[in-house]
Amino acid sequence: MIIAERKPFAEIKDAVAPYEKVLVVGCGTCVAVCLAGGEKEVGLLASQLKLARGQNGKASQIGEITVERQCDLEFIRPLSETVAAYDAVISTACGAGVQFLAALPEMKPVFPALNTTFIGVNEEAGFYTERCRACHQCYLGLTGGICPRTMCPKGLLNGPCGGNIRGKCEVNPDRACAWCEIYAKLEGEGRLGLIEAILPLHAHGRSTTPGTVIHPAYKRRYGAHE
Amino acid sequence: MSKLKEALAGGKFPIVMEINPPKGVDLKGMLAPLQGLNGQVTAFGIPDNEHAKMKLSALAAARLVQEAGAEPLLLMTCRDRNRLALESDLLGAGALGLENILALSGDFVSLGDHPDAKPVYDADSVQLLQIARGLMAGHDSAGLPLKGSPQFCLGAVLIPEADPMAPQLLKIKKKLEAGVDFFISAPIFDLEKLRQFKKLLGPQEVKFLACVKVPKAEEVEQAAQGQHRKVYSLPPEVVQELAGNDPEEVLLKGAALAGRLLRQIREEKLADGVYVKAKGKVELMAKVLEAAGA
Ligand code: SF4
Ligand code: SF4
Repeated sequence: MIIAERKPFAEIKDAVAPYEKVLVVGCGTCVAVCLAGGEKEVGLLASQLKLARGQNGKASQIGEITVERQCDLEFIRPLSETVAAYDAVISTACGAGVQFLAALPEMKPVFPALNTTFIGVNEEAGFYTERCRACHQCYLGLTGGICPRTMCPKGLLNGPCGGNIRGKCEVNPDRACAWCEIYAKLEGEGRLGLIEAILPLHAHGRSTTPGTVIHPAYKRRYGAHE
Repeated sequence: MSKLKEALAGGKFPIVMEINPPKGVDLKGMLAPLQGLNGQVTAFGIPDNEHAKMKLSALAAARLVQEAGAEPLLLMTCRDRNRLALESDLLGAGALGLENILALSGDFVSLGDHPDAKPVYDADSVQLLQIARGLMAGHDSAGLPLKGSPQFCLGAVLIPEADPMAPQLLKIKKKLEAGVDFFISAPIFDLEKLRQFKKLLGPQEVKFLACVKVPKAEEVEQAAQGQHRKVYSLPPEVVQELAGNDPEEVLLKGAALAGRLLRQIREEKLADGVYVKAKGKVELMAKVLEAAGA
C-alpha cells in the first residue's frame, strides 16, 4: 500500500490560514491503514485546527468528512457539492488522492496534509517499510522476491557494490545489504542460476512520468493500441 | 597502448599513485606529486568525487595530469551520471587519449557532502564495463554506430576481505564476463587475508593491483576501540604500531608501513602491481616508495 506521514501541524495551519471555512477530507484506504489520513486522523487534525484557531480568536468553521478512497472518482464525485459551503479543503490522502480531488469541478483550493513517502508494507503496528519503486519492470522473479531497485539504495542489478560490511548496507549499517540477502536466499533455494547472467541496463523509458496503464480488456474502449 | 596496460602485460609490477583533485581550481597540491615522482610511478589514479564529496572533475584532472607529462588512470563512478553522460564522458576520455578507466558504482550520495543530491546509478559497474566495451566495438548502449571508437584499458574493483564472499565472487565473475582488463583491490593491511583471497580466486588470467593505504589517525583509533567499520581490516599489530601517536606521526609511520606492504606484495607476488592511497600528499608518497625500496 501507499505509505504517508502527516505534515507538521504548523505547515498545515499556515497553508489554510487565509480561509475561514475549511473542510478536512480523509481517505479510508492506504493512509487510514498507516494511521496518517483516515477518519480518526481527520478528527484529530480538525480538533487541532479548531483549537489553534480558537486561541487566535479567529472565527472559523472546520468540517470533516472521510471517503472510502480519494483515488477513485466514484467516491469523491459527491464532494463537488459538499465543498460549496467551504472556502478551502485539506486532503489527508496520498498525493494521488489530493490531485484527483483538486481536479474535481467546482472544487475549492486543496492543500495536502500528508507527505506521501513510498509503496510499502505494514511490518508491525505503526511500523512501515518501503518495498517497491514501481519501476515498470519487476525483477522479483529473478531475485528471490527481494527488490534490487528498492532494497538496494543504489538499485544495482548485478550483485552487491563493494561497500557492504559483513552483509550490512554501506548506506545504512542497520539494514542488510539487499544483494547479500538475494544471494543467500537463492543459494538456500538452490536457484543461484537465476542471477548468473548479466542484467542489461534498466528500461527507464517505460517509467517516464506520468505513467498510464490500460487493462487489456479496456484497450478498445480507450482507443489504446493493442 | 597505455603504460599501465603495457606494464601489466609485461609483468613489470606497475605502481599507481592516487592523487586528489581539489575542491576548487587551485591545482598545486594535486599536481605536486607529478613532478616529484613521475619516474617511479606508472600512472596516477584520479578519484571521481571520492566518498561522494564534490571535487574538480576527474576527467579534467586526468587531462591536466596528461598535459603535465604523466599517465592518468581515470576513476569513473555510476553515482553522478546517467548512461548518456557516462558514454559521452567515455568518448571524451577516448578522444583525449585517456585509456585507463576504472569502473565503480560509487559511494552513496548520503555519505558525502551533498547528501540531498539525486543518486543516479542508471548503470552499475558491470553495465558500465559493458558500455565501455560497446564503445570500443563501435556502438553506444542504444546500439547506434560511432564515428571512430575509443580504446580503453578497463579496470574494476574487488574486495579481498568481502564478508560474505560469495556475492562478491558473483560480481567479479560478471565483471570478467563484461570484459575487464584488470582489477584494483580495496585497501589491504593484512597480507594473510590477501594470500587467502588469491587462493580463493584461483589462477586468474586477469591482473590485479593490490591497494596499499596510508591510514588516518582517526581510522587507527577506531580500530583500537574495535569500532573500525570498513571493507578491510587493520590487524592488531598494525593498530599497535600506529595507535596513540599524534596524527602527523600516524601518517608518517603509516606511510612506512604501506611501503613495507608494497615491498612484500611485490616480493611474494601477491598481486601484479599496487595502487597507493597516500592522501594525495607527495611527502607521504615519497615515504611509501622509499620504504618499499622502489
Ligand atoms: S523490481 Fe522492485 S521496484 Fe520494480 S516493480 Fe518489482 S518490486 Fe517494484
Ligand atoms: S551495500 Fe548492498 S544494498 Fe547497500 S548499496 Fe551496496 S549493494 Fe546495495
